[in-house]
Amino acid sequence: KNLQYTDTLMSELFRELENGRLVRLLMKLGTINERQDHDNDPSWSENGERYTLKLFRDYVFHRVDEHGRPTFDVGHMLTCLNKLDAGSAERIRLTSRNNDTDFIITYAELKKQVNGAFAELMKHNRRP
Amino acid sequence: MDADWDELSRQLLPPPGGQSVPSVVTALAFDTTQELLWAGNGYGRVTSFYGNNLQKYTSFRAHPPSEGAVQQLLFNDKGVIALGGRGVHMAIRRGLPVWPHITADDMRDLRCMSFTSKATSEILVAGVQDTMFVIDTIKGEIVKRIPTTDHYIKMKKSRYICAATSDGRVHILDPVKFTVIHKWRAHSAFINDMDVQQDFVVTCGTSLKQPSSNYMLDPFVMVFDLKNMSTMPPIPFPPLAAYVRMHPRMLTTGIVASQGGQIHVVDLLNPNTSNVRQANVVGSIITGIEIAPSGEAIALADTDCNMHIWASPSKCHFVEVAQPTEWPDEEAPRPHVEWDDNTPLNSVGVPYYRETLMSALPNMLISDVGAPPPKISQNDLAHMTKASFGFYGPNHRQQRRNQAEDTRSVDKTSSAQRAPKFLSEKARDSAKSSLTEAVIEAQVDKAAHALGTVELESLKTDLPG
Repeated sequence: KNLQYTDTLMSELFRELENGRLVRLLMKLGTINERQDHDNDPSWSENGERYTLKLFRDYVFHRVDEHGRPTFDVGHMLTCLNKLDAGSAERIRLTSRNNDTDFIITYAELKKQVNGAFAELMKHNRRP
Repeated sequence: MDADWDELSRQLLPPPGGQSVPSVVTALAFDTTQELLWAGNGYGRVTSFYGNNLQKYTSFRAHPPSEGAVQQLLFNDKGVIALGGRGVHMAIRRGLPVWPHITADDMRDLRCMSFTSKATSEILVAGVQDTMFVIDTIKGEIVKRIPTTDHYIKMKKSRYICAATSDGRVHILDPVKFTVIHKWRAHSAFINDMDVQQDFVVTCGTSLKQPSSNYMLDPFVMVFDLKNMSTMPPIPFPPLAAYVRMHPRMLTTGIVASQGGQIHVVDLLNPNTSNVRQANVVGSIITGIEIAPSGEAIALADTDCNMHIWASPSKCHFVEVAQPTEWPDEEAPRPHVEWDDNTPLNSVGVPYYRETLMSALPNMLISDVGAPPPKISQNDLAHMTKASFGFYGPNHRQQRRNQAEDTRSVDKTSSAQRAPKFLSEKARDSAKSSLTEAVIEAQVDKAAHALGTVELESLKTDLPG
């Protein structure tokens, strides 16, 4: 009976650890995407090295079905986020909204870009 | 060209963002290591196509439209270098930039580029301007600026860098020092196309620039021998030679095309025997021709924005030993999970990993949790209009939007409530201030000294040997 209780506690603990990890991941993505100071930054423009981060956001959260209706697929979002977290070598195709730009990119490359962008923000994050 | 060569496929270059009018190919090139054909358009976009049926592979914006058309493409094992009028861009074949876009104020009208003596790790960039640039393609930076009086519109490298000027000459440049070794007057007005392979330079061009009428192309191809540094007899081409390419493996064979699509395969040393083909370009004009590094396929671009692949259906391939092209991975089917309020989020696992997870936050982050929220003063509300969802109006405050405020200190100073002090505390306070802090500090210093270095040493982290 005692062991079962421990197991329950462990599984609850893992659930909460997972939540924390995902929230940290989302906070990181949230802080870097679509900042106003990016508006004139060439690296966030369409030929810049951070453009893929915008496209990735669309890939994960702005999915639509064949009629253009938004889909809400928790499994898809979690799978993508977890692969990004681990920096998997899997390749995905990222397409811009006007279908003009087509990148083929690995999660590892995306992770590197996110970390780069986040480090840049931290550099300016001065605390008294 | 074998007897069974034919047009294998034709592909329209996709139109620029949202428009329905396709764009003309401004730069066309076969990849040197993969089965890819690359095309650039007038809006700075580069698109790649796979295999002999030209399946669309990747597409990316190499230059903002303000930098003009893609002028030329070069390849190395890392990726593709795209030259625009005012900048240089390098991306891997999957589309990701290799280094930040290079642009400079003195890049005004770039037209051509070439690798230098340092194989593919350095390029020379020139154009209709008085500066040439040497760019390190590994670091992605301009290493040298070279002033020039000649304006170059085309560049190709074999043993020397051969550069066509805007007035019909070809300059043979030293690939190390970039000095002009030899000047060759190929056409008296303008060079329309140039190719260099091993020892031969071949050009198509115009001889008389008539301001009133269109350019009249010369009915011959000019040939220059790099080994002997001498002009060779021109190759006659009655339909007016517009484009020319040397065959990469048959070293004396050239492929000449007219604007109307007539293609001749000729031997430079024996120009009388030729093999004639007609490309099907009804109503349009050819704007470019490229030959694959294997010599087994040629690509044509026309003014209707089409790209044509000509090859033998049985053995069409672009490169001798093609490296595999990286396609997106098949998405693995996910286990079906019923999502309800109680489904744990860890039902979807994290793939195997070795590095730090991206979700790890740096531990230098200190957050102040629990500070009171910023107050909305009556003054703020005065400027606003009330609506069913709340108040709205322009931001009249002194702060930026979403500015972080230190609400704690504001609170402290305003409500200066302090616990009253006992008499003994008051006495101690006054004593402390009179005792002067210097004395205390001196005592602390003394104590620290007395502790000695031995004990402090133990506080340091243990390092082996």
